[in-house]
Amino acid sequence: MKREAFFDRVRNAVRSAQRYRVNVQQFADRPPRSVQGGDLAARLAQEITAVGGTAHVAEDLDDARRYARGLFAENNVQRALCWQHSALEELRIDELLDEADVTAIDHATLAGLPREAQRREMLAADLGITGVDFAVAETGSLLLAAAAGRERVASLVPPVHLAIVRCQQIVADLFDAFERFDPRALPSNLTFITGPSKTGDIELQLTTGVHGPGAWHVLVVP
Amino acid sequence: MVDYRRQEHHEFLQAAAQAMADEPLQSALTRLGDTLGPRNRAAYAALAESDELRERARAIKNATLLELDRHLQDLQASVERHGGNVHFASDGEDACRIIGEILDAAGARRVVKSKSMTTEEIHLNRYLEERDFDVTETDFGEFIIQVAGQRPSHLVAPAVHLRVDEVARILESDAGHPLPSEPQQLAAFARRRLRDRFAAADAGITGANFGIAETGSIVLVSNEGNARLTVSLPRVHIAVMGMEKVIPRWEHLPVFLKVLARAATGQKMSVYTSIVNGPRREGELDGAEAFHLVILDNGRSRILGGPLRESLFCIRCGACLNACPIYRNVGGHAYGGVYAGPIGAVLTPLYDGLKANHHLPHASSLCGACQAACPVKIAIPELLVRLREQLETNKSQSWIERTAYSTWARMMRSAGLYRLATWLATRTLGRLYRRSRWISRLPGLSGWTGARDFPAPAPERFRDWWRREGNA
Ligand code: SF4
Repeated sequence: MKREAFFDRVRNAVRSAQRYRVNVQQFADRPPRSVQGGDLAARLAQEITAVGGTAHVAEDLDDARRYARGLFAENNVQRALCWQHSALEELRIDELLDEADVTAIDHATLAGLPREAQRREMLAADLGITGVDFAVAETGSLLLAAAAGRERVASLVPPVHLAIVRCQQIVADLFDAFERFDPRALPSNLTFITGPSKTGDIELQLTTGVHGPGAWHVLVVP
Repeated sequence: MVDYRRQEHHEFLQAAAQAMADEPLQSALTRLGDTLGPRNRAAYAALAESDELRERARAIKNATLLELDRHLQDLQASVERHGGNVHFASDGEDACRIIGEILDAAGARRVVKSKSMTTEEIHLNRYLEERDFDVTETDFGEFIIQVAGQRPSHLVAPAVHLRVDEVARILESDAGHPLPSEPQQLAAFARRRLRDRFAAADAGITGANFGIAETGSIVLVSNEGNARLTVSLPRVHIAVMGMEKVIPRWEHLPVFLKVLARAATGQKMSVYTSIVNGPRREGELDGAEAFHLVILDNGRSRILGGPLRESLFCIRCGACLNACPIYRNVGGHAYGGVYAGPIGAVLTPLYDGLKANHHLPHASSLCGACQAACPVKIAIPELLVRLREQLETNKSQSWIERTAYSTWARMMRSAGLYRLATWLATRTLGRLYRRSRWISRLPGLSGWTGARDFPAPAPERFRDWWRREGNA
């Protein structure tokens, strides 16, 4: 009943809106791309640095592992929330964490716990390690899709986020990233991340880490 | 006396005068205009196709509103396909009641909110607090404002009117111990404080920057990450969306994302853009287990059917505020309503009544800076002029003004009369005010000179000057 009344009102309004001669501009199908090709990994790294993140384009897996190891030590990491993702497996992140005496918390660990304990584990981590679905060279954005084993909190709750991007996951333009998804089969949550958590709420001064990670590391692997 | 920072009001002139005498506010506004204003222009300039993208964004809004009923139906169907619930609210009271009922049914008492002008518009916090819900604003600026008991003064920077030491004093009242006047440390305090609230919250309430009809997605854009926490940790998520925020298709979203952050802050993308497609799915460990979308009319259908329809294109980026010479002098609280700045000067009279807000359509120099900054190119000056026109037709003019207008019209239609009138004017008023060139009082027409001086006619007509000098 209420819904009917709501829609009656909207329908009437639409009818009288249509009576105004409105000129809606028409466009060719495809909007213009801002970035087309070139060295996408270099462009991505440049944009990530520009928004206050740290990008490292690794020469090979050994180089990538060295970077990760350094990151754990530098941040004195104790507990890491990890995605179950082939990019992490390829780097053998488990091993690296083990070597560095870091407790790895992943989907399997969490799923076995009661809700309250789960929440506590999520909030206690000091590093989150994730893969990505796509990276956008134009804007320096990472696109992460949620799924079981790919927890949203991993890129959000800990003070440091390490994202592992494979070279072939980089697309040139924001429009390209959208084209890669079937609109009828979207995951429960998709998030673009473009930088460390920021606010300018006090005197417009840039302040990082107010809610999400204050440090944002993107490791690009071949 | 009304505290304009805390209460909505209809006293634009008094509030503006007070704001202009407020030194800290003035320096905050200068800073705002000097940083965000140029960033908007630089970001458009740096993107070759920004103009086309803004036109495209505008065209999408325009076409969508002409078939809004169909798109809302599609949105509902798509959200329900994901297992979400859709509610339709005719006005603010309706929306508050619906939200209260959802919370009650879920047994939720502790609520975290991420910044949403729509929930400000319906005064949701007051409603929930009166019913003993525990409500926390989690956007840093909104949190400061909530602790201080004030109103936001900017669409995207709600606490922009406060100095860092004022913020420290405000947050001390929440902390119960002294805090340093240093932004990074105050942010760290807020992080700790708000984490506890997130951890304990039963429900999260957000607005919605966009709703996609085709996919049933709700899109949330933020820089801090509080919107993500709000939809990831509590078990219930309620999104409140003005009905004009719907866009038809998935492929439309990047068009808006490309211009939204550039317009607001000069960023290419805001830090976090979350696309929420209903509740969490099988096997997932975070994300709300129940999702509700409340779609709000609250006067929008009235605007949709009228000549000011274009105001519904607004995506609430705040760029027109940063660009506006009036906003940059009087700040957000002077406007009296929930929405400030140029777009507020249009929206508040539409939502809250033109008569009560008759100053607002005049709170503009019609310079066009707002339109130039707007990511969807809303012709704000034109909308303000239409409101002024409505004000004039509603009010009866004095007989002097009526006679003056009709004489003016006759004069302009006849070349002979025009020449005679200009000759007379230069000989009388022109000579009389030869030195000052400004008339400070017009008897019987105080409205024209009460707040400004009226320019006197030149002591010599242009045609006489031309005859003398132009042929020399
Ligand atoms: S009117 Fe335009 S510039 Fe102003 S807030 Fe709305 S979208 Fe932004």
